Amino acid sequence: MAELEFQCPLPNGLHARPASTLAEVVGRFEAEISLENRRNGARANARSVLEMVALGVKRGDRCRLEIRGADAESAAASLRAFLDNELPICDEALPAEAPATGRALPRGLRNACGRWFAGTVVCPGIGKGRVVVLGAAFVPPELLEQPAEAPADEREKVRRANVALRATLEMRLASKPPAVEEGILRAHLAILGDVGMTQRTVAAIDSGRSAMQAVSEAAAFFAARMRESESAYVRERAIDIEDIGFQLLERMHGSRLRSPQLDLAEAAVVVAESLTPRQFLALDKRFLQGLVLEHTGGTSHAVILARSFGIPTLTGVAEVRAHIAPGTEAVVDANIGIVIPEPSATVRVFYERELVTLRRREERLARFRRAPARTRDGQTLEVAANVATVEELAPAFSAGADGIGLFRTEMLFMDREAPPSEEEQFAIYLQAARAAQGSPVIVRTFDIGGDKPVPYLQLAPERNPFLGLRGLRLYPGHASVFRAQLRAILRASAFGKIWMMVPMLNSVDELRWVKARLAEVRTELDAAGTKYDPALRVGVMIEVPSAAFAIPELATEADFFSIGTNDLLQYFMAVDREQASVAGLASARHPAFLRLLKKIVDDARAAGRWVGMCGEMTRSPRNLPLLVGLGLDEISTAAPEISGLKAGIAQLSAEECRALYASALACGTLAEVEARVAAFREQGATQSLLTADFVCMDSRSATKEEALQELVGALYVAGRTEQPRALEDAIWAREAVYSTGLGFGFAIPHCKSDTVSANSIAVLRLAQPLEWGSTDGLPVRCVILLAMRETGEEGAHMKVFSKLARRLMHEEFRERMLAARDRAEVLSCLEEELGLAPSPIG
Amino acid sequence: MKIVAVTACPTGIAHTYMAAEQLEKTARAAGHQIKVETQGAMGIENELSAQEIREAEVVLFAVDIEVERRERFAGKKIVEVRVVEAIKNPKALLERLHG
Repeated sequence: MAELEFQCPLPNGLHARPASTLAEVVGRFEAEISLENRRNGARANARSVLEMVALGVKRGDRCRLEIRGADAESAAASLRAFLDNELPICDEALPAEAPATGRALPRGLRNACGRWFAGTVVCPGIGKGRVVVLGAAFVPPELLEQPAEAPADEREKVRRANVALRATLEMRLASKPPAVEEGILRAHLAILGDVGMTQRTVAAIDSGRSAMQAVSEAAAFFAARMRESESAYVRERAIDIEDIGFQLLERMHGSRLRSPQLDLAEAAVVVAESLTPRQFLALDKRFLQGLVLEHTGGTSHAVILARSFGIPTLTGVAEVRAHIAPGTEAVVDANIGIVIPEPSATVRVFYERELVTLRRREERLARFRRAPARTRDGQTLEVAANVATVEELAPAFSAGADGIGLFRTEMLFMDREAPPSEEEQFAIYLQAARAAQGSPVIVRTFDIGGDKPVPYLQLAPERNPFLGLRGLRLYPGHASVFRAQLRAILRASAFGKIWMMVPMLNSVDELRWVKARLAEVRTELDAAGTKYDPALRVGVMIEVPSAAFAIPELATEADFFSIGTNDLLQYFMAVDREQASVAGLASARHPAFLRLLKKIVDDARAAGRWVGMCGEMTRSPRNLPLLVGLGLDEISTAAPEISGLKAGIAQLSAEECRALYASALACGTLAEVEARVAAFREQGATQSLLTADFVCMDSRSATKEEALQELVGALYVAGRTEQPRALEDAIWAREAVYSTGLGFGFAIPHCKSDTVSANSIAVLRLAQPLEWGSTDGLPVRCVILLAMRETGEEGAHMKVFSKLARRLMHEEFRERMLAARDRAEVLSCLEEELGLAPSPIG
Repeated sequence: MKIVAVTACPTGIAHTYMAAEQLEKTARAAGHQIKVETQGAMGIENELSAQEIREAEVVLFAVDIEVERRERFAGKKIVEVRVVEAIKNPKALLERLHG
């Protein structure tokens, strides 16, 4: 026998990844090897990753390996080398655990909010309703009640299920999924092959349990041990174990075990471990007010859908199902990223106000939604939506989309055993054509490979899938799959304005190949007398740098171009966007990238071609002046962004934006571009200090918190701030120095903060005087908020602020402010006393 | 009485100017000569000259933050109060200076 002592060097303890590396080394030997955590005396079979993880070994824990058997000596030598050289470096940084209490609550809730849980915002908004918990793994009880057959038969059932599931997982792994999914698949495979799990299952069967009972009990046993761990990372693995157990049960049962149908009958907040796209689509959107998910793993498609439907959604809310009871009320605030179960009266009032503010803002933006976006000087820019499913079309158009700038079709090809048939695709593209009612729908042919694995295409693993066989490069090898899609697209083109776009193209010969296939399909359709649009427009997604330099040649074959900024940026900058350590190097505002974009647009224009843009660059309002200045025909983005972007475009001057773009092209560094963009925003910030929209009369606010929420809300509704919570915080930070209640019934809360887009004055006249901690002890009847930008030119506005401050020391002015009967009178009083230009009454 | 004063508050947006206005208004009503320098978000305004400081009988600082270029007042008798005092009760403050 040999013994090895060591101290755990891993910052995150012995979790699944290092434990499986250790188990691999152990697996090379015959010897019986056990691992003991000397801190708590717990022991595990060192071949079982699950048992080892369940030991709860933390950094610094003393551990002992006991090795017995014929090859104990050589095993000991290998393990010693492993412990010394490999174990310390076999871990990568785990995602940081966000401290749930670290998030700042809105000021109005800080003293009123009991329990709350923080998560990651994936779709902003606020929703409240009754909690409905969606069980991810629902096993019908009758399945577990079935009596066991002979142990040998039951063991065989487990073995077969195991083999089938392993084959599925390995196939998915072979298709080279993105790193995150690959990690999950490997973890799942390890659980499936774990000796601890197997031994436990077999022992249960031998004692007379059925295969289903044995599997579900073994999974429950290990999941429970994981849940006891002190590491949140290990605790979350419990879900993986249950998931594998569940999938084995499905294999044994022979069909999918569906969650019971969720019929929402009233405003609901759905809480789930995770959600499949199908589960999301089955939820009645009339009642779905918010979504809270414990996991992000595997839910990305559901998350994309939630975004399209504008459902306030949080993910990564760890173990929330344990804390929120079904049937109780909850508020999801996906603007700040929290969920509050069983809200108190104060919390309810707070959110009622918030919802009113959000609705008013929505109404203001709605004015811009219907019409095409037009700059102040009359240049139009189409704002279209990116979608991946038919279900997203209606919400996209009601969000104001001028068209569908990118219909990603690969989702139709994923999560299934065989490619979608021509008929299935035709039905979908037909729906898209009809829903668009004459607006263009740009259907992008499937972009699979890289980060989007599809098992049935049996793609060989690649060292670098982003530079491998993906997008159009796959089509020649899967000609029948591509042909079915071409036929479906062409047939649908007879019923609306369908444009077709090809991804990942390098040069014009590839496009010629596509058009030759298209011509063949047309001939077939002609022969069969099937209708299609003979003028179907065929375009190219510009996402590879070489294509960006081939626009004149491509234009001989292409009818239009759309710039895919995500891939174009990562290929152009040689930066993996998923790699956090370098992601910061790739900014779409980098001058070199701006020059590239300019070249694409200029070359497309010179060839008389339409050019749009889809991708993340379109999402940030910060980029909007550059996008307008670039001179695109269209930008296509996530549907909820559309009305905001349209409103933003209406405030810009195309001429000024072009000048900005020209000056950005002359910059040498990103920092210089950022400075120009910031300066441009400052220029744009010379809007009037005060409009009638910023005057609130007869306010019912009863506390300082409510009054400030109301004032900031007015600025948010008017589009003066996009970060109302941060603006409130800035005001409260000043308030903490000493009260801004200056006496005489007036308060002047103020701040210097770049959370306002322009210097602003807002006024609140209170129906009931309220306590403000004023110097003279009197309650306040009028609140005047001064919000000034921290950067930028302050001269003129600052003079107005200082004049206002001085005027407030005069009784005549105060009397006049309190006597004003309506918004117009308040406004004209301020304008006259401060010498402001009169502003139109909104 | 000849008074020079400096007002300065944390953000330099409001109280600096309210205090200045209050001091000017009240001092004049009481028949004093006063000049108030504001140190706010726009920097120093209505700057006190060396001669004005020299000739002043009293220097009043109504400030919540450090006075900029304080060395100008070296050797003078300085009364220093918080900004709110000048806003809340300027009359009492001026009477105190007198005494």
